[in-house]
Amino acid sequence: MISQLIQLVISGLALGAIYALIALGFVVIYRASEVFNFAQGELLSTGAFLMVALCGAGVPWVLALIGSMVLTGALAAGIERAVMRPLIGRPIFVSAILTIFVGFFLRAMVIIVWGVEPRGMPTPWETTAVVELGEARVLWNSIGSVLAGLLTLGAFFALIRYTKLGVAMRAASADQEASLAHGIPVGRILGTTWFLAGTFAALGGVFLGMFPSSVDANIGLIALRAFPAVILGGLESAGGAVLAALILGVLEVLAQAYLNPVLGDFGHNFHGVFPYLVMILVLIVRPYGLFGHQEVKRA
Amino acid sequence: MPTRPLLTRYEDDLKLFPDRWNKIGIAIAIPILLAYPFVASSQWLTVGNLAWVTVVGSIGMMMLTGFSGQISLGHAAFLALGAYTTAILGEQLGLPFWMGIPVSGFVAAAVGLAIGPFALRLEGLYLAIVTLGLLFLVNHTLHSLPELTHGSIGISVPMHTWFPADGSPDPMGTFAKPLVLGGLTVSFEQKLYFFFLAIAIVATYLGVNVQRSNTGRSMMAVRDHDVAAAVMGVHPARAKVISFGMSAFFAGVAGAMFACQQQYVTIEPPFDLNMSVQYIAIIVLGGVGTIFGAVWGALVFVALSPLAEKLFDTLKPHVPLLGGLSSAQQATLLFSLIVVGFLIFEPLGLFGMWLRIKRYFMAWPFKY
Repeated sequence: MISQLIQLVISGLALGAIYALIALGFVVIYRASEVFNFAQGELLSTGAFLMVALCGAGVPWVLALIGSMVLTGALAAGIERAVMRPLIGRPIFVSAILTIFVGFFLRAMVIIVWGVEPRGMPTPWETTAVVELGEARVLWNSIGSVLAGLLTLGAFFALIRYTKLGVAMRAASADQEASLAHGIPVGRILGTTWFLAGTFAALGGVFLGMFPSSVDANIGLIALRAFPAVILGGLESAGGAVLAALILGVLEVLAQAYLNPVLGDFGHNFHGVFPYLVMILVLIVRPYGLFGHQEVKRA
Repeated sequence: MPTRPLLTRYEDDLKLFPDRWNKIGIAIAIPILLAYPFVASSQWLTVGNLAWVTVVGSIGMMMLTGFSGQISLGHAAFLALGAYTTAILGEQLGLPFWMGIPVSGFVAAAVGLAIGPFALRLEGLYLAIVTLGLLFLVNHTLHSLPELTHGSIGISVPMHTWFPADGSPDPMGTFAKPLVLGGLTVSFEQKLYFFFLAIAIVATYLGVNVQRSNTGRSMMAVRDHDVAAAVMGVHPARAKVISFGMSAFFAGVAGAMFACQQQYVTIEPPFDLNMSVQYIAIIVLGGVGTIFGAVWGALVFVALSPLAEKLFDTLKPHVPLLGGLSSAQQATLLFSLIVVGFLIFEPLGLFGMWLRIKRYFMAWPFKY
């Protein structure tokens, strides 16, 4: 009983860590430019496929991971420069729609280049290796994704808090015009945030594609499951998004194990909508998420 | 440069056909619309039917997103509700399809009105994600009621013209038979075309009326600045809830029409996030905030997918790698390129292009 619970919580945390990477990608872009990047899921699948392709070409695992992160980041920065930059100042609605279609385009490209058949994601350890914690058997892949997620998040918060670049990013997200007037290259900062979001997406894609799942063209749909985390945490709050992602990951896995069987017909695949249900219930009480800013309205 | 003559009386502003451009357009359109089903090939007839379905659906979308500025990713949920209401009522009660269509609209509107209050507290992207959640919840509920919906297998849509008697020889309905009028045989698809055309015209008329009446104006006031609108005496909560209800009604009707056209519906696809996004793209393509945009965006969008197929068929031998795409993916690729282009270069969409053409001819022979 307890060992099953431990097993579930750890695989929930692993899922949550991937959600957190995706959610963080959304939040950095949203904070910097008020754009909700619906193409994040497609960046994730691009990163995963790049990883498979690089490993297939004989590049060592760690170098391949760095390579796919950098390439995906560069792709994201390229998207920002080519299609998002002309839209600065237009309503948020317009840029959000645009990213949806950029996502469609990327997805078509992924299918054109790599086809639709699923592939296995290479891992540096034995693909199905497990570690025994008491009676619980936990996949190395789960532990790897939790660790990678925590390391990246730690590095990101350190970057935001202690470096000059981080200060510039925070300034640009607070007020673009004012920071431009203070000599901060806002355009380059926006490119950097998209680059970061791309690297997070690629990392999430690599760990998401590992056993027990695989890499296929639909892997990007995971981003739809990460939306509740972003909203629940509050769109402007990076820490809130990470926290909400971990909570929702664990809740989703627990709901799958304990709630689905109880609900009969309604329970079939219920865990897929459960995060949305939690999100809607929380939003009734807190319409700006747990840590979002409440906007003050003036006529 | 004005795009229409100066109005001096309030009655002029309320005219349904304000200038001779509309009258010329209508005079050209009527014979084309009536002759279309007899001229078009069966593929293009299907396209025509789908176009009217999409026109009704996108007028609903326009009311919610275009007029009152509420971004919704849950439009497909209302279409799904409409489609399944018609199918289930036809199967369980033998309700005639033409009664099922308005009933579907009211069922969807009831759900829309129930969602409306959520929208009062949420803004922008928060609302978009919540309506996306609504879509997932509706689809999940449809999946989990297999006694009624037959789950993921799908449900066929009977086309009764009247309540069938017990042991009726046509369990699937009598509307599907061709009709012989004198020497002219009108096939099922052609009958459906005229029926849908009538619904689409009524829907457009209603849409235009909402836009130029108190209701629509209060929605637009809320969209442009809700606090200012409230100060001016508009009730923002009421405007938002009404727009949710009306939008859902149109979507439900469109879903029911879609079910009648397809004759067999499943849950996902077609009623998924893609469909919601397509509706948003349609109104962006047409021009946000105008009924003109909803109608023309829908027509162009539906006509694009067979055109995309033709285009890719000619491109395939010359461009490597394109063969891996399904026809739906080809259409999506082409459509996403077009929408991205419109968003960057022509924010007002087709409506903006139309305004420019009209201005050119109104100012002729001068440039401006």
